[in-house]
Amino acid sequence: MKGLIPLFVGLFGTFTFSWVGLTVIPNLQIGALNPQSDEEGTDIYPVPQSGMVERGSRIYTANGCIYCHSRQVRPDYAASDIDRKWGARRSAPRDYIFDRPVALGKERMGPDLANVGKRGETQESPAPNAPASSPAPSGGAATSPAAGQSPAPSNAAPPKPPAGAASLPPGNSPAQPAAASASPNPTGEPALYSEAWHHRHLYAPRSMTPDTRDSNMPAYQFLYEKRRINGERSADAVQLTGPDAPPSGWEVVPTYDAKCLVAYLMAQDQSHPLKEVKGAPGAAPPAGSPATSPGGSPPPAPPKK
Amino acid sequence: MTPAADIPLKQPTVSATAGDVEQYERALIDASTRVPVLMFYASAMAWLLIGTLLAGFVSFKLHSPDWLSNVSFLTWGRLRPVHMNVMVYGWASMAGMGTAIWMMARLCRTTLRHPLLLVAGIWFWNIGVFIGVVAILMGYSTGYQWLEFPPYAAVVLVVAYALIISWAVLMFRFRRGEQIYITQWYLLGAFLWFPWLYTAAQAMLFVVPVQGVLQAAVGWWYANNLLFLWFGAIGLGTAYYMIPKVIGRPVYSYHLATIGFWTYALFSSWTGMQRLVDGPFPAWMITASIAATILTIIPVATVGLNHHMTMQGYFPVMRYSPTLRFTVFGAMSYTVFSIVGVLISLRSTARYLHFTEADVAYSHLGLYAFFTMTMFGSMYYIVPRLVGREWRYATLIKLHFWASAYGIGLMSLMLLVGGFVQGASQNDPSLSFIESVQTVLPYVRGLSLAALLLTASHFIFAFHFGLMLFGLGRTSTVPTFLNPVEAEGTETHL
Repeated sequence: MKGLIPLFVGLFGTFTFSWVGLTVIPNLQIGALNPQSDEEGTDIYPVPQSGMVERGSRIYTANGCIYCHSRQVRPDYAASDIDRKWGARRSAPRDYIFDRPVALGKERMGPDLANVGKRGETQESPAPNAPASSPAPSGGAATSPAAGQSPAPSNAAPPKPPAGAASLPPGNSPAQPAAASASPNPTGEPALYSEAWHHRHLYAPRSMTPDTRDSNMPAYQFLYEKRRINGERSADAVQLTGPDAPPSGWEVVPTYDAKCLVAYLMAQDQSHPLKEVKGAPGAAPPAGSPATSPGGSPPPAPPKK
Repeated sequence: MTPAADIPLKQPTVSATAGDVEQYERALIDASTRVPVLMFYASAMAWLLIGTLLAGFVSFKLHSPDWLSNVSFLTWGRLRPVHMNVMVYGWASMAGMGTAIWMMARLCRTTLRHPLLLVAGIWFWNIGVFIGVVAILMGYSTGYQWLEFPPYAAVVLVVAYALIISWAVLMFRFRRGEQIYITQWYLLGAFLWFPWLYTAAQAMLFVVPVQGVLQAAVGWWYANNLLFLWFGAIGLGTAYYMIPKVIGRPVYSYHLATIGFWTYALFSSWTGMQRLVDGPFPAWMITASIAATILTIIPVATVGLNHHMTMQGYFPVMRYSPTLRFTVFGAMSYTVFSIVGVLISLRSTARYLHFTEADVAYSHLGLYAFFTMTMFGSMYYIVPRLVGREWRYATLIKLHFWASAYGIGLMSLMLLVGGFVQGASQNDPSLSFIESVQTVLPYVRGLSLAALLLTASHFIFAFHFGLMLFGLGRTSTVPTFLNPVEAEGTETHL
């Protein structure tokens, strides 16, 4: 090659081309998105995360959850993410405008978590630690106020945990969602994707319904504290059975970090429709039918075998 | 000439006759680079061993998750980024910079001035990697692939890099001879692109963070460009240096090399979004990266053809020369790496490979099968010239090669095939998700086996390298051949 100037111009030029093309121009295109709202300026989505959720996102990052769990739903023509009930529609840039770091993920050794908070929504309860998660799924809370009291839970819930349904004791039925995490239930398993379920799953991943027995997720017991029961058992003690249960007189309670992590998981919800994404057939308008939640509408097809 | 000239010299060897000016000049240059390059290599070897042990942990814990899981800093999700970063910044970058500095000095035909300041840069780099590793273990990872080090560790790395690279640029400034060889294009590119890439990514992620998904775009733009424009450029430059050097024959075609270089710079720098196929981005970004990935076939073909034609008729030399054997293995793996890159980015095949272990295979093919093997090759060439001794045991080199080759081969195969079946079951919604995990776990066990092989190979090499470092190599004028050299074919500068 003759001459230094063409060499250096070329080196600068090629790299500038890539830099401008893949980062600067996209930044002009989608770098300043705003939350969407309807004409009255209500029904805003997405909303900023609460303090606990943000801290939970840091716990999620620090412990490398991102290396096994993605947080993006691909469109139905590309993959079977939607068939797997990981979401009712594909993810869009606007879903992530308040995320930092944005945990899109690179591998799925574990299931996608883009809507994991929504999947257990009907099981949510006004437990003492509920403030942690209440601001988070505000899309759901604002748009389907029926979730708490109306017959919606009992309608929407039965198809939800089909795998676990058989093994769920009647005392833990969705008819009384508040009981699931507010009062300890040492014999049964918490409802799928409820807060109590997440805590137990994080503490002892292979202790749950048959579906998680073969999971290769590590336990995160360092996020929990095992302590002697002092007087009365704590309300937020993890419900454990079998070999993972602490000896009698002891209990396992989540640390603040664990609570934040679960608050973060419970805040994972992309069910709110976006104008730029054409809704999947199952995605109903927000305030309409009880079948708002992804996976709530087609009862005959269980998401898992 | 320089203060470094009084460092003990290797005896002029091979065909040197008294008064052979070129030979003497080379010996002077080697002597001036001796301390910093050996320090680069020694640090790189230390990080390589640490990274290898971590790889074993990561691989084993993937199928035995309860092993050592109760300590926060030994949890899988922290060990894995530590392993990646130790390998990327500790091993690969340091070995690459060592080789690059040495080749730059040789090609510019100039001694390395003030090597002690370069040594300071090496220390800073080591400190930066160490701070970053501790930070990740303590839970301060940033969560972006290969950028997990928190910004305060990145600052140390940038300072170290400035110290290191100004010396390479200085050498280029004082170069002798008009011709700029192909290797120098690649090295100048790498030296220029890396700091730009690194600071741009840091700035766009941590100083003035971009919004939402663009962080992921910047992250993958960085990761792929690091793979191509930093490691890829150094690796290809090394292959362009070592192959002609060892067989004693000029590069087949400069014209092909020019095409290969510019298409490489142009296309490979656009591939970043291939890792986000069908993600939440404007479709044009991903499509552009897929197109760029397909177009990288052009540089792959031209570079591959060029190396092949250079080697034409000289392939039997691989029987003897460790350098050539490792380098050719690396150069061939570069082709495989690029083909796998096309497979994981095409939408039709990404359907089965995205979000699976195949992604890990891709990184390992690039960083190990291509880059690391090339670096091993260059170290087998350079270290004897720095310490004035020849490698002691041909058997150890052979063991090192075969353990590495089988190790990375098995690993890539396991990850690719495993990734494919994993992706196929993920895509079949009639199977529960956990079945896709169960499908891949036997392959992950094979991965642990490969990790054992690679661990053995690295410890063998480290031992051999240690012997050389402590002056326990052979004192001989004949390089160490892998096999006894018969009468013919000894015309080489092994």
